[in-house]
Amino acid sequence: MLHQYLPVLVFAALGILVGGAFATLNLVLGPKRLKGDESSAAIRQMDPYECGLPSEISKTFRFGVSFYLVAMLFILFDIEVVFLYPVGAILKSTDSVFVLAEVVLFVALLFVALIYVWRKGALDWR
Amino acid sequence: MSFDAPTIDYAGLSPVIALTVGLVVIVLAAVFDSVRRFGPALALLTYAVTAGCLIWQWNANLDLVSGSLRIDGLAVTLSLLAVIAAAVAVLLAIGDPSETQAGRSDWLALLTGSLLGMVILAQATSMLTFFVGLELLSIPLYALCGTNLRRRESLESGLKYLIVGSVGSATLLYGLAMIYGASGATGFQAISDGLQAGDGMLSDSLTLVGVGMVAVGLAFKVSIAPFHQWTPDVYQGAPTPVTAFMAVATKAAAFAVFIRFFLVALGPLADQWDVMLAALAALSIVVGNVGALAQTSLKRMLGYSGVAQAGYMLAGIVTATQAGVDALVFYLAAYVAMNVAAFAVVVIRERQNGFSDDISTLRGLGREKPLLAWPLTIAMLALAGLPPTAGFIGKLYLIEALVDDDWTWLAVMIAIGTMISLGYYLRVVATLWMSPAGQAEAGAEIDTASLPPQIAGAQADPFEDSRADRRWYLVAPALIATAAALFFGVIPQPLVDFAQHAGDALSVWIS
Repeated sequence: MLHQYLPVLVFAALGILVGGAFATLNLVLGPKRLKGDESSAAIRQMDPYECGLPSEISKTFRFGVSFYLVAMLFILFDIEVVFLYPVGAILKSTDSVFVLAEVVLFVALLFVALIYVWRKGALDWR
Repeated sequence: MSFDAPTIDYAGLSPVIALTVGLVVIVLAAVFDSVRRFGPALALLTYAVTAGCLIWQWNANLDLVSGSLRIDGLAVTLSLLAVIAAAVAVLLAIGDPSETQAGRSDWLALLTGSLLGMVILAQATSMLTFFVGLELLSIPLYALCGTNLRRRESLESGLKYLIVGSVGSATLLYGLAMIYGASGATGFQAISDGLQAGDGMLSDSLTLVGVGMVAVGLAFKVSIAPFHQWTPDVYQGAPTPVTAFMAVATKAAAFAVFIRFFLVALGPLADQWDVMLAALAALSIVVGNVGALAQTSLKRMLGYSGVAQAGYMLAGIVTATQAGVDALVFYLAAYVAMNVAAFAVVVIRERQNGFSDDISTLRGLGREKPLLAWPLTIAMLALAGLPPTAGFIGKLYLIEALVDDDWTWLAVMIAIGTMISLGYYLRVVATLWMSPAGQAEAGAEIDTASLPPQIAGAQADPFEDSRADRRWYLVAPALIATAAALFFGVIPQPLVDFAQHAGDALSVWIS
């Protein structure tokens, strides 16, 4: 029974291996900071990942609420749209108006949510 | 193209459909100024239609949506209790700062969303609908707890409930995954069949851990000790209409799925998990009652009392008999009446004295405003389980069901818990009637400097409404609930039939 869980172990080991490799390889192969260069860009280059934002954040770091709101709304609507794909795939083979009606209903509910978000001003960047 | 729809039982789904349509209308009402003030009317109309659909489906007994939902006596009765609690919350919230600050219809949309989760949860017969219903119930409630945006306690209670609730949900989900691993099924009936074929949970660690984690997750939701620590804080900090809704409706819906999951899906293991639930029930009774003794805040005391009451109700599941389920549903129905009466008075008193729910603010109320003092007195006596109230009959049925199934020690625990509880319930009654008037302490000072900035569209500072005890929408719930608690204490038969309707739905699975 337990040997069924072997893939999980392999997966965890691979994860640790790959993650560790990327973190350490960067130190070995990545460009070294030039001596005496104390600019923040040079310090930033020492990070294991470069993504434009500092990857280590102090606890007083402030995150823009507008950004958070838009990101959250994006995720909500983004996830909902994923549900449309499987329906699109079977719509032709089912050849049924019912399926189409279901999708229209689903999108209508999403539209209500969009109206709410829009009228509440959550889409305005403040 | 043709219109071949699968067979869908729209009649059986009608309560869920009615609530969903109502929810959409309320959400739209929130964004159009001209209809915003009709929010409470729309919400009450939605609940009335939902209740109508539930009563229409009273005798239904069928699986819906390929066996993910099931509408039967248990679902109908407990959904009705949740709908009643939501309607009361709408009335109690009219003019409440939480409702005005969050935007009236937005608040009501959250409430309706939570209620929709409860109705789905009461019908859930598959792990997926179980979890979706539970989250739909919980997430709007987290937000509702924090809707009193200008009170730090309210925001704190929302955050606390969110964190603790998420831990509970995660535990539950993990447990469900393990039970799926052990039984290879997601439907409750199929889980039961899968577990029947296995060799019990004591020799199969996967099932054992799964059952334990599901019990812990559900115990978080119904606030069973030792997973109750959030209850007093959240009950005290949340706006009182939300507390009233949370105390009553969440328990009804969560106990519905508690009953269904343990008696149907885990039914084959009943003589293995009953000891575990019995220990939780006994601990809850002791911790809740002893914890309530030292409280000075009425809402906090009702929170601890809710922990103890959840312990009494859990005892009904321990028996795994139809009599136990009947007693549990009877007790829940009585609990709705008692708690609504108590919280309605708390709401009125809070509005009159600047939102303090300290027990000392009740001094001399008996002489000054008997119309407020009587509902609270009867609610306290009913919660304590004194005759002639529905609380007494409820405890009687629970104890009877326990003794019949050889759980005498748990019945004795209920009796001991009741004796301890007299200590704090009667203290409230004594404050109401036996202390001189006019010494109510000033309401909690509100430190304006520490308040979070007002959000757009928010209005209304903390206010006092000295005429709150004459507003029909606050007084009527208190009086009707009090009348119900007394009526069903004297003539319990209608409520017994109601409860038996729930128990009969499970007659296939339990004796």
